[in-house]
Amino acid sequence: MEIREDLGPVRQRAIVLLLTAFLLFGALHLRIAQLQIVEGSHWRTMAENNRLRRLPLASVRGRIYDRRGHVLADNLPTWNLLLFPDEASKLDETLLFVADLGVSDAASLHRRVNQRGVDRLAPMVVGENLDWQQVARVRSHQSDHPELSVVAGFRRHYPFGNATAHIVGHLRLVSENELRSSAGLDPSTRVGATGIESLANDFLTGQAGERWVVVSAVGRQLGVVREDPSASGKDLAVTIDAGLQQIAAEALGERAGSVVAIDPRHGAVRVMYSSPSFNAELFSGPLSPETWNALTTDPRHPLQDRSLQGTYPPGSTIKPILALAALTDGLVTPNWTVQCTGRVVLHGHPFRCWRRGGHGRVDLEHSLEASCDVYYYQLGQRLGIDRMARWLELFGLGRSTGTGLPSEASGLIGTPEWSRRVRGTPWYAGEAVSVSIGQGPVLTTAIQMARAFAALANGGRLVTPHVVVGPEQANSVDLDLDPTHLARVKKGLELVVHGETGTARSLAGLPVAGKTGTAQVARLQEGVDSKDLAPHLQHHAWFVGWAPLIDPEIVIAVVVEHGGGGGSIAAPTASIIFSAALDNAEQPSDHAPEE
Amino acid sequence: MEHRIDAWMILAVAGILGASLVTQNAVSQVVGTQLLARQLLWACAGMLTLIILSRIRLDYYARLAPLAYGFGLASLVAVLFFGEVRSGTRGWFAMGPLTLQPSEFARVATILMVAAWLGRRSGRRLAAGEAAGVAALVLVAAGLVALEPDLGVTLTYLPVAVAALWLGGLPRWAWVWLVILTLVVGVAAWNTVLKDFQKERVLTVLDPERDPYGVGYQVRQSKIAVGAGGLAGEGVGQGSQSLLRYLPAQHTDFAFAVWAEATGFVGASGLLLAYALLLYRIGMAAAVAESRFGLILAILVGAWFAFQVVVNLGMVLGLLPTTGITLPLFSYGGSSLLSTCVALGVVQSVWRHRLVNQ
Repeated sequence: MEIREDLGPVRQRAIVLLLTAFLLFGALHLRIAQLQIVEGSHWRTMAENNRLRRLPLASVRGRIYDRRGHVLADNLPTWNLLLFPDEASKLDETLLFVADLGVSDAASLHRRVNQRGVDRLAPMVVGENLDWQQVARVRSHQSDHPELSVVAGFRRHYPFGNATAHIVGHLRLVSENELRSSAGLDPSTRVGATGIESLANDFLTGQAGERWVVVSAVGRQLGVVREDPSASGKDLAVTIDAGLQQIAAEALGERAGSVVAIDPRHGAVRVMYSSPSFNAELFSGPLSPETWNALTTDPRHPLQDRSLQGTYPPGSTIKPILALAALTDGLVTPNWTVQCTGRVVLHGHPFRCWRRGGHGRVDLEHSLEASCDVYYYQLGQRLGIDRMARWLELFGLGRSTGTGLPSEASGLIGTPEWSRRVRGTPWYAGEAVSVSIGQGPVLTTAIQMARAFAALANGGRLVTPHVVVGPEQANSVDLDLDPTHLARVKKGLELVVHGETGTARSLAGLPVAGKTGTAQVARLQEGVDSKDLAPHLQHHAWFVGWAPLIDPEIVIAVVVEHGGGGGSIAAPTASIIFSAALDNAEQPSDHAPEE
Repeated sequence: MEHRIDAWMILAVAGILGASLVTQNAVSQVVGTQLLARQLLWACAGMLTLIILSRIRLDYYARLAPLAYGFGLASLVAVLFFGEVRSGTRGWFAMGPLTLQPSEFARVATILMVAAWLGRRSGRRLAAGEAAGVAALVLVAAGLVALEPDLGVTLTYLPVAVAALWLGGLPRWAWVWLVILTLVVGVAAWNTVLKDFQKERVLTVLDPERDPYGVGYQVRQSKIAVGAGGLAGEGVGQGSQSLLRYLPAQHTDFAFAVWAEATGFVGASGLLLAYALLLYRIGMAAAVAESRFGLILAILVGAWFAFQVVVNLGMVLGLLPTTGITLPLFSYGGSSLLSTCVALGVVQSVWRHRLVNQ
């Protein structure tokens, strides 16, 4: 490499480049001076008139329709009040103004303003469901409180009111965790909390949008910077029959309990009503602590969905399943008889039949018709506890039915193994005697009983109860029952309603078959009549059955908490619902209104 | 023998970095993440790199240039396959908590390669084939960056090519053809490659009130921020509270607007003067260089650096369209900061080893 090469021409070109760069720097400096010194006051004014707001665009939640096209869940337009806390020059005055409107109290407003997150452009919803007077007051004071804005929103409305509160469900505010895990979620967003609202939440939920606008110092909108439109959620048709649901609600009246009706052919749920009910719309807006406390401390527990979460001893309603078990396993024949004297001593303890005088000689069909307890004590002894448990579980008792609805209770089928593992006490042989009449460590829900009876009604298929039709809901399990055994048991259940000594004769005018059940809450002492018990110790009353007799289309399970006798209380209630269901002869095909 | 490091340049760099850290800290609350600690680490690493690289003899850089260039190209290809995607651009290698943007470092390698290539030639003007070779060295690298696609960084390669051709010396007719070619390519790009939003950005420069709440929004907010700063500014950290958070990309592309609002004409001028001082010291390094390689190297770094400052500030001040080019040493981002310090360190090597002249 040469020493002292001639760099002259390159140096000259370099100088030209550098001078150009400095010239451009000078131009930039002049521009800065122009913006900051010459035009400074102009831009400062612009800055004051330059407020960017992020307005949430509410998405419409999908409607829920019943199988006949009645709207179960709707949306009503409403006015909401937004506050942009960072824009406020006198925040305290504004909060007082909002509190004075009557939409929220000052203390909780202050707390919420102080706890808001870092996303400071976002508004806070400080009032929901404003009435016209409140809207007018905000509008007329708009220039005093430009950081307040009235926007349109939606409020969930349930046209059938209390009758569908549990099955359709209600909404809740998104939780802190959900807010943290999904950015951009508005804290005032409501999502499904229970029932179908929760089950189909993703389907029903739309996509919330937002609009970025520039507003002037007095809150007037100057222009839209960006808009992400909202998308509505999808409408959903469910299998519920709202009319029948309403009749069930009226039939139960003030009594606590549950009515579940399903179509035994495929498991579509027609009625799922829990009493006492509540107003689900309370959860569509801000819920006051007083209202919440009143609901949660009510001794009658209106929020509990008794159809899915209420677990009761099934009483005599499990007798047809045990009869079928003994027939199938060859432990008894249809003509096997038991002499019922009103009581029997087993394992050293006396066990009584519900009928003091006894039933005399009883065969299988008659044991169901008259619900003879002694017959089933003996039959249970032949089956043994493990076989009884297996058969009850085969019919879906003691486990969730797969509706997909939230918080379904599983219930319980007690066995010696369960006693050792869970209860930690030894199993008493006498407990198996109780189990054979649906007492003791056996707990089922109304929907489990409806499903089990659907399997009897449809010829031995265990269907999956469902409110939304989907591919997995079509699943059913064939129990592989002997048709002649099934026919004998079904005959017995017909006699319950139509036989001379049937326990549900109040239904005799209808083509119904079924079984009553009277589940003891407290063990009766010798010589005490059940009518003398305190109300909270009264028996639970059951009736589970189907109609019509040939090709059954509906299975109804009724349970009345502390109602008394299954035949005297539950059966007449079921009668009202059966009668209404049978009147609606021309039911549309089952998949017509869906989606 | 080795000269002392250029204290003026260190002063300029330290001043810019200091202003940057003040701004990043103020912006942290608005952006919602703590930016200061990371940027402070990068700034220290950058300064250290600058000083270390300035001690390496210049001829090593000439010898290492082809290797560096090859490695740069390889990393640009690799990132297209293994890179991490951020807002549609596949341009980052993620290594644990660290992310590196190879397009920033490949630019330094390209500058080294072009300078080494031109430095080996004698003083005569470039022949057509040679000119094409120089342009190809830059355009291959720029093309790979364009594939990510990263328009902003791609553009920062162009001043390297133009300055190299200018320093290499092209006959006058060649420049006429280049201008014509640029115009033709520009018109063709306008009609084919450029997307509507990009065209809107250009049109907005010509007519600022064209769409003040849409495409013109960012630039308008930026001008409001700078203008509202006035003579003395609104104070660091408080700024105009209503205003700061309406400004987009405060810690990156529009960081200068935040500084200008907070410190007013005084601070904005001071920062611009620091950039001018830095550019002047790069020029001084070029002036004292006695090898062709050293001279061209310093000028290429200066050309790229000045281009990026001018284009970014032009955007912030509403004179040039929005392109996503950051302000070197000032905008948030580790790779940009570190690669700038690497380039300045090499320029300092030119300054320190000026009489060694291998």
